[in-house]
Amino acid sequence: MQFSFTEQIALLILTLAALSSFTYEVWRRLRIVLKGSGHFSLNRFGERAWRTFREVFIHERVIRGRFWPGLMHALVFWGFIAFGVVTLDHFAVGFGKPILSHRADELYSVVAIPVAGLVLLGILVLAYRRFITRPAALGKLSPTSGLVAVFISLLMITYIYGEMSPASVVAKANWWFHSILILAFLVLIPRSKHLHLVFAPFNIFFRPFDTPDHKAVNIDLEAEEEELDAMLSDLTRLSKNQALDIFSCVACGRCTDSCPAHRGGGILSPKDHFILDLRQPMLDSGDVNVLEGINVEAGWECTSCQACTFACPVGNQVEKSDEIRRLQVMVEGQVPQQYQKLFMNLQETGNTEGAFSSSLAETLPKFTPEKEYVLWLGCFARFNLDPNFTQSVENYAKILDAAGVSYGVLEEEWCSGDPANRLGEKMTYQMLMEHNLEQLSTVKKVTTMCPHCAVNVGKEYGKHANLNYEMQHHTQVISSLIENGRLAISGKSSEAVTYHDPCNLSRMLGEVDAPRKAIRATADDFFELEESGTNTLCCGAGGGLWWKKEGTGRTHLVRAEQIVESRAETVVTSCNFCYGMFNQGLGPLTPEGRGPVEVKDLADFVAENAQV
Amino acid sequence: MKIAVLVKQVPGGDSPLRISDDQLWVIEDNVNFITNESDAYAVEEALQLREKSGEGEVVAVSFGPERTQRTIREALSKGADRGIHIEDSYPYSSDPLKIATALSEALKEEQFDLILSGLQSDDYGFGQVGVLLGETLGMTTATLVMSTELSDGSLKVKRELESGWFQWVSLSLPASISIQSGINTPRYPSLKGIMGAKKKEIKSVAPDSATAAAQAISRVYIPQKTKKTEMIEGTADQQVKRLAEVLKKEIRVV
Ligand code: SF4
Ligand code: SF4
Repeated sequence: MQFSFTEQIALLILTLAALSSFTYEVWRRLRIVLKGSGHFSLNRFGERAWRTFREVFIHERVIRGRFWPGLMHALVFWGFIAFGVVTLDHFAVGFGKPILSHRADELYSVVAIPVAGLVLLGILVLAYRRFITRPAALGKLSPTSGLVAVFISLLMITYIYGEMSPASVVAKANWWFHSILILAFLVLIPRSKHLHLVFAPFNIFFRPFDTPDHKAVNIDLEAEEEELDAMLSDLTRLSKNQALDIFSCVACGRCTDSCPAHRGGGILSPKDHFILDLRQPMLDSGDVNVLEGINVEAGWECTSCQACTFACPVGNQVEKSDEIRRLQVMVEGQVPQQYQKLFMNLQETGNTEGAFSSSLAETLPKFTPEKEYVLWLGCFARFNLDPNFTQSVENYAKILDAAGVSYGVLEEEWCSGDPANRLGEKMTYQMLMEHNLEQLSTVKKVTTMCPHCAVNVGKEYGKHANLNYEMQHHTQVISSLIENGRLAISGKSSEAVTYHDPCNLSRMLGEVDAPRKAIRATADDFFELEESGTNTLCCGAGGGLWWKKEGTGRTHLVRAEQIVESRAETVVTSCNFCYGMFNQGLGPLTPEGRGPVEVKDLADFVAENAQV
Repeated sequence: MKIAVLVKQVPGGDSPLRISDDQLWVIEDNVNFITNESDAYAVEEALQLREKSGEGEVVAVSFGPERTQRTIREALSKGADRGIHIEDSYPYSSDPLKIATALSEALKEEQFDLILSGLQSDDYGFGQVGVLLGETLGMTTATLVMSTELSDGSLKVKRELESGWFQWVSLSLPASISIQSGINTPRYPSLKGIMGAKKKEIKSVAPDSATAAAQAISRVYIPQKTKKTEMIEGTADQQVKRLAEVLKKEIRVV
């Protein structure tokens, strides 16, 4: 195809205009992102690269989360990759300098034409879903999405037509139409959620490895007023990663779909409250100090379960209850009354219940330096938040005894600070942490049955200090005792057993195998719940919600219902809070005629089937 | 608007309480001292009244031993402007009139427009200091306030009466009112508040020891539990009759 000089000038002007518009809009957002606190980390480079390959090129999360729409999206994406060369060549032809020889172009089109067909299929299915099926997660109808679908379809059609037809006026018109569509696309992308095309791969690459990844708040009570003000105003700022998240979001609603508060009928929608609501304020102010704008009521509903973050296909760390709560507590002083009582207990007595002694701790051996493990109890066990759980602690003790493992409890163990941390009371958290770190200063190994304590004592404390000890959750200890033969199994139980993954263990500590190994070693009929592993659904007690006694939401019932509706005779869990929630929740939900579901901690289940 | 709010430090309800050897108080080690519940609502009401009127001052006033300063500090960290501490020593005063007199001595120069106090203390529970102080200072008084409405120069309050009834009362200022728990949602001391409170002034005043107490605690003890078993005998009719009588008149459950 030949182009006149005038045509080439027109093409040049249009191309430059589209490219500058694109660059300007991207740059405008990037500049805001770079104002965020912290920095983009390049550590564990290989892992990052591998993750980016899997999640971007293979579309691993996109497909896993929603299979059919995910696959259709993958078709469109792979098509884009395949069309990279075609598109470059298309413009090169316009400027009279084709990249591909005629022969190469013909050969390539043998692949590219069927690919174009697949892209067309993909985009039509996605458009059908978005505009005809209209799942609630996608939210309001978006005209831009419609436009993009039309653009992509026309791009494919004009491409196929261009490849198949001989040079003619119509072919020329077709060429121009194709070009203008591409340029219009460039203008559209940065102004819409389709910016994820540009940002998502970087966002996935730079995603922090730790979930959740809230900035640690260090409070210096001796500091000058200006320093304190600076620290507090810093709390309103997004980190660079968080800012990039906001512009990468594709508004797919997977986070909201997976959110237990949302599924329980709450107002919280992480997609809106934690991500999209912040986008316009960022563009308006050109800055990242937008955290104050998060809906407070929604923020208090969150269980900190991290399901949203794990569901997000573009690599966002979605949850921001930490950010809004700490502003409410430390800056505004607006704290629900139940939590004020909780905080006061923590400050006055170092535990959640305002208790002065623990009958359980008194019956267990004390820790002395020659013992292998500190058995960290946590307030739940220590102060009988569910009296039945005492037996589970005793079972764990029996297992350790039977395997010849030495352990003892700390007399001066205070609350790990989990509720204070998750509810934004960082000053109390710091006080508890400092006390506990001192108690643990010469300790090498700690084990606990509470994943919340494990996350805080074993991981979050590490954001403030160097930890000299290793934290092992009891599922990890038990599973390795079975594996290396120190704990002898006496038989296998025959009931139908399922396992509920606690969020803190599966998503925050990444442990899903240890408890399964232990159950498989002791059960004949083990089956998985539909939502399991890192895909688990929160019991409803996380994020300090255990202490929020009132409330009309059903956040705490959704998971319990799933268990009752499964064929489980026994549900094993490995978190005292989940245990407490199910112990209270399953009974009333069980319909007549269905046998009761027994709730057991992993320690109970293993102890029943081992020589203890 | 110049507002005083009376706060008292009391033993927290969850603390293990053991009686001291002299049987006049409790052993204080292991006791958590906290702000009296209804006083926390009074503090919040004072702060809200100040915020609504747009200007003025809230002064947290407490009568008690040294440790009481923490309770004043808590009010300061929530937003009160300064504190006045009237010192007391062991054995602690329990006579409301004596306490009210000491308070009025310390406060009369201040010329408060409004004095708020909690309905009653969770330890002694006399519920009188606020009213007595108001009377000594020549103020109007109202107790058991569930809601306040301030309009220039006068105060309208809603008082809680028995069995679900309530009453609106108009008071001229200055006034002293006692606040019922639950009237508002007390705020939490923010970090900035806590830090700011360190710099606020707490004035300590030694009370005029000349005022003699007109009443004193003579013995503190844990309520004795007693068990009483009565066998009801007789014919079925007699038994039913006696049972009904016991339920109605003695246990009072029907
Ligand atoms: S952390 Fe859990 S509860 Fe909170 S927004 Fe995310 S999914 Fe919802
Ligand atoms: S945050 Fe992630 S999961 Fe949620 S809507 Fe945006 S892209 Fe989808």
